[in-house]
Amino acid sequence: MKSRRMTRRGLLTTAAGAALLLGFGKVSAQESRPVWMPFDGFPPADSMAEGLQFLTPDEARTVGAIVERLIPADALSPSGKDAGCVDFIDRQLSGPYGVFSGQYREGPFQDGTPMQGDQSPLDARQRYRLGLAALDGWCRANAQAAFADLPEDRRDAILADLETGKITLDGIPAELFFEQVLANTMEGFFADPIHGGNKDMVSWRMLGFPGARYDYLDSLDIAGTPLRLDPIGLKGGPSWSADWVPPSAPARKG
Amino acid sequence: MTHAFSPISVAAGFAALILSVPTASAQQTYERFGFAQTERGRYIAILGDCAACHTAPGGAPLAGGLRFETPVGAIISSNITPDRENGIGKMTLKEFDAAMREGIGQGGKRLYPAMPYPAFSNMTDEDIADLYAWIMAQQPAPAQINSNELKFPFDIRTGMIAWNMINFKPDAFKPDPAQSAEWNRGGYIVEGPGHCGACHSGKTITMGDKSSEHLTGAIIENWVAPNITGDAEAGLGAWEEQDIIAYLKTGANRFDIASGGMMDVIRHSSRMWTDGDLKAVAVYLKSQPGRSGKPLAAALPETDMRMQAGARIYKDRCSACHFDNGEGYPGLFPSLAGAGSVNAEEPTSVLHVVLAGSRAVATPAAPTGPAMPSLGWALSDNDIANVVTYVRNAFGNTAAPVSTEQVATARAALQP
Ligand code: HEC
Ligand code: HEC
Ligand code: HEC
Repeated sequence: MKSRRMTRRGLLTTAAGAALLLGFGKVSAQESRPVWMPFDGFPPADSMAEGLQFLTPDEARTVGAIVERLIPADALSPSGKDAGCVDFIDRQLSGPYGVFSGQYREGPFQDGTPMQGDQSPLDARQRYRLGLAALDGWCRANAQAAFADLPEDRRDAILADLETGKITLDGIPAELFFEQVLANTMEGFFADPIHGGNKDMVSWRMLGFPGARYDYLDSLDIAGTPLRLDPIGLKGGPSWSADWVPPSAPARKG
Repeated sequence: MTHAFSPISVAAGFAALILSVPTASAQQTYERFGFAQTERGRYIAILGDCAACHTAPGGAPLAGGLRFETPVGAIISSNITPDRENGIGKMTLKEFDAAMREGIGQGGKRLYPAMPYPAFSNMTDEDIADLYAWIMAQQPAPAQINSNELKFPFDIRTGMIAWNMINFKPDAFKPDPAQSAEWNRGGYIVEGPGHCGACHSGKTITMGDKSSEHLTGAIIENWVAPNITGDAEAGLGAWEEQDIIAYLKTGANRFDIASGGMMDVIRHSSRMWTDGDLKAVAVYLKSQPGRSGKPLAAALPETDMRMQAGARIYKDRCSACHFDNGEGYPGLFPSLAGAGSVNAEEPTSVLHVVLAGSRAVATPAAPTGPAMPSLGWALSDNDIANVVTYVRNAFGNTAAPVSTEQVATARAALQP
């Protein structure tokens, strides 16, 4: 129902007069329009979520132990785990992607040729739930410890065997599980930090990608010069704070 | 049973149909007042923007029911169709006149000035009579309106007698013989049926119009209704007559696109004004001195830390649409440079659009109705304080900086 607010149009002053009037805080009204709504910003629904949304703490620990080997910390960047890939994957699974809601899921499910792509009846959540449990089961049986408690080189070897299918997991093809985690880890590492991964835009800094910017009109006539723009995400970055100091450009060679 | 249509019966039916468009009472009204007077009245109703307040969305024309929410309850606009039970069909011209120009409604009830009778009191006898003729020719609608839901003591309409004593001097618009006929026509529309001051004039503590702040801007419905005098800095100084005309006629000009309450004014009223009236209003507004008496602040220096952070946020989140120079793109993205809403004492409008987003008016002449997305979710209160401080002090603008607390207050007030 439409209504117009009358703050200033001079009403409600009547009997009670000025003193009461001063006490009134806000005046509220709703003007509903079908096509456009105030505050419609479409932020990712899960971008403000706190804590684990889908994974159990044990599962999250195993995922962390995987992603820190898929993207190990090195001179270029921190590890996938420190970059927030576990948070990213957890939120991703809790959302529509977790049930592959954008895909045809009715079957029939049968093995296709490699060219026909993914034919598994399992959605992303099931792949993690089954895969993580099966991986830990395999590790306890064959290495006498949970995956997350194994040393790095042992974890690397097991991940390599998952990738090639040398290890057989209960309930899910090992390659399928490996591919799923690898793909989501890369997404988490490079996606906008609003989704929980790519903390402090580490991957963007590594690549020199300036982030979620609109255009570079004012840089058109300085072609060939490195822009050295500090990256910004959808919710900004360090350069938006008042005390930010631009990183000094490395001395240029003549 | 079948029914055979002869050409004659079709023609007869058609004629009946045409004749039945004006209702029986409309027919009588035409006979009573004549078509010419009724037509003049139709135009007065446009000038007076009656439909904006007296037609609820989805409701019958002029059947009322639009709610005006206030902290003490709702005031609801009346059914002003000529329905004899629930409308104003029983009102005589004299009684109608009392409602329009003295704020005394049916049965002697005191009207709340949500009905802008203080401005309408400037209207001429002739216009009131013409308007009456047109209203009485409209389709009666039976909608029953519970006229107000105010809580005690505000529901006591006699309170309006005191209000009227302080704030209301029934007063016909007095033409100024030293000015042109055009200027006088513009003045009549602005001060009378157009009731522009209801939003654009400063308010006294009891919400009456302040004569010292005539048309110098006010806050209404969480928007700034800017200074629309000819004042070079604070008012429409940079707008040519042509710009004012384009704004009122189409909703957009080379500087601005209308939003907030001005959308209704343009949609239901000014876009249908005659070219002569548009020009007259532009001439009158440009002639208004509009000294608000408030000295202009000096712009913050670029070296100010808030300006520096604000400039970077502007670059990253605003310049795509409003451009680096703040000038926007005519008809699509309003200019922030020199804009009344940006330079206003209160940052109400700028905070409104940045937090909640905004959709501008769409008219047949400028049908786009571009929208600015809400950035309230993406920018922190501190980010918004800095970027708004920046736009108020860049591109030649000068206005007071905005604090994080002001942003938090605006967010709380606007958030649904
Ligand atoms: C800004 C909104 C607004 C505009 C514009 C407006 N009205 Fe009203 N009008 C109201 C409201 C609200 C009331 C009911 C006030 C009350 O209950 O005290 C009202 C009441 C009235 C009444 C009294 C009805 C009765 O039953 O006593 C009449 C007559 C009337 N309006 C006619 C008009 C006409 C004609 C126009 C156009 C020239 C017009 N109004 C424009 C808001 C408006
Ligand atoms: C319901 C309240 C309301 C009424 C009545 C009203 N205005 Fe406005 N007006 C506004 C608001 C709010 C704005 C600011 C719109 C925006 O920021 O896009 C505005 C903006 C304007 C502007 C543009 C000013 C600028 O600097 O951008 C002009 C010109 C104007 N109004 C003229 C008029 C005239 C002439 C009338 C009377 C016929 C009138 N208005 C009646 C609320 C109103
Ligand atoms: C996607 C394009 C877009 C972006 C980005 C954008 N705006 Fe807007 N802006 C618009 C449009 C379109 C309007 C007109 C909406 C209206 O009038 O209701 C507008 C209106 C405004 C107005 C009101 C101008 C007036 O005359 O009343 C201000 C102030 C403003 N924007 C400031 C900003 C600021 C500050 C930012 C960055 C934080 C920003 N805008 C980002 C498109 C944009």
